[in-house]
Amino acid sequence: MRDIWEGVAEALDRRPHLLRLGRLVQDTLLVRVEDGEWFLHFRDGRIKRITDGPSRRTPWTFGLVTDRAALDAFWRPQPEPGFHDIFGLAKLGRARIEGDILAMVRNLRFHKDVLALPRETLS
Amino acid sequence: MTPAFEPILGRYLTVETKGGPRRIHVESAGGGRDVLLLHTAGADTRQWRHVMTDQGLREDYRFWAFDMPWHGKSLPPEGWHEQEYLLTTEAYVDTVLAVSDALGLDRPILAGCSMGGRIALQIARLHPGHFAGFVAIEASDFQPAWYDIDWFDRPDAHGGQMGAALVSANISPHAPEAERWATLWSFMQSGPGVFRGDLSFYTRDDSLVGRLGEIDTKAAPIHILVGAYDLTCTPEDAERTAEAIPGATSTVMPELGHFPMSEHPIAFRPYFADALARVSADG
Repeated sequence: MRDIWEGVAEALDRRPHLLRLGRLVQDTLLVRVEDGEWFLHFRDGRIKRITDGPSRRTPWTFGLVTDRAALDAFWRPQPEPGFHDIFGLAKLGRARIEGDILAMVRNLRFHKDVLALPRETLS
Repeated sequence: MTPAFEPILGRYLTVETKGGPRRIHVESAGGGRDVLLLHTAGADTRQWRHVMTDQGLREDYRFWAFDMPWHGKSLPPEGWHEQEYLLTTEAYVDTVLAVSDALGLDRPILAGCSMGGRIALQIARLHPGHFAGFVAIEASDFQPAWYDIDWFDRPDAHGGQMGAALVSANISPHAPEAERWATLWSFMQSGPGVFRGDLSFYTRDDSLVGRLGEIDTKAAPIHILVGAYDLTCTPEDAERTAEAIPGATSTVMPELGHFPMSEHPIAFRPYFADALARVSADG
């Protein structure tokens, strides 16, 4: 999946409104998808670095724990009810948000829009 | 040249509530049977703009929408700067009845969405003679929070931005982009602490639980509408509620979310027209 996250980083770089919205974001997002883990290191609204996990030594701000089928359903251009939002995935029991959720909520539109970028990059 | 005004007319009136006088912004449009419209938490009458400008609906109904105190163009009460805004069932019911009476409405239909739908059901229970029928949209007896309502009133973060980003979870992906973002704008504009104060009522007041059976739909019919993409009041929540009210009916709207009249007005229109016709059936 690393290629998908790299595609997200590139797509983010091409979206000035998201870069402006996330200009104060310095979070590290852990994405755990079944056995795979990736750390997306946000600096000033850009994904500065992507590192592969698992790693106990990498500090992270908040994490999204989910499964690949749920992400694929979430990334469809017209998702089914519940799969249309990360909180919907959580409500369906297909995802968990861990760590400092308030850090995520402070910049919630930015983080949700970034996580949804594969709807465009994968289609 | 005559300006191409929309048919919505906005006025102000001060109503007396148990909590004191409240200066209320009221909008009206149309001619026909009176329908009083209630907006959701953290929003205002703009959510009803498409219904109120719909030519066909305006021929059959006269719509009235108002901003609750603290919302939209209705001011908070004097002394607000030293108060914590927390909406209660009692104040909400009192305000709706006070506005309806101040407008001189005679047994109008009451249509409300989300917390407006909840209070419509509560009014159906407590004041069955006041309204001729109820359309309760995205409405249930109780919804516990799946978020922390205190997120939306913090001095170190933008409550409006966070509130809008949270409620975007409830908007259908079928909603047109322009309407999605117009819907979210009003949440971003909500006054500090207002969305939290509304959610306090919506997620903590469980006074309807176990009492839905007391509602008499023979006195005033009830139709519940719910969007399939509503994560807050799901179709299961709305249908559970409708089943517990003897005589109530419900419809699931497959391509809609929690703000159907605002997020996707074209898709919502036939469901709302049907709901109004159903609850108007007694004349």
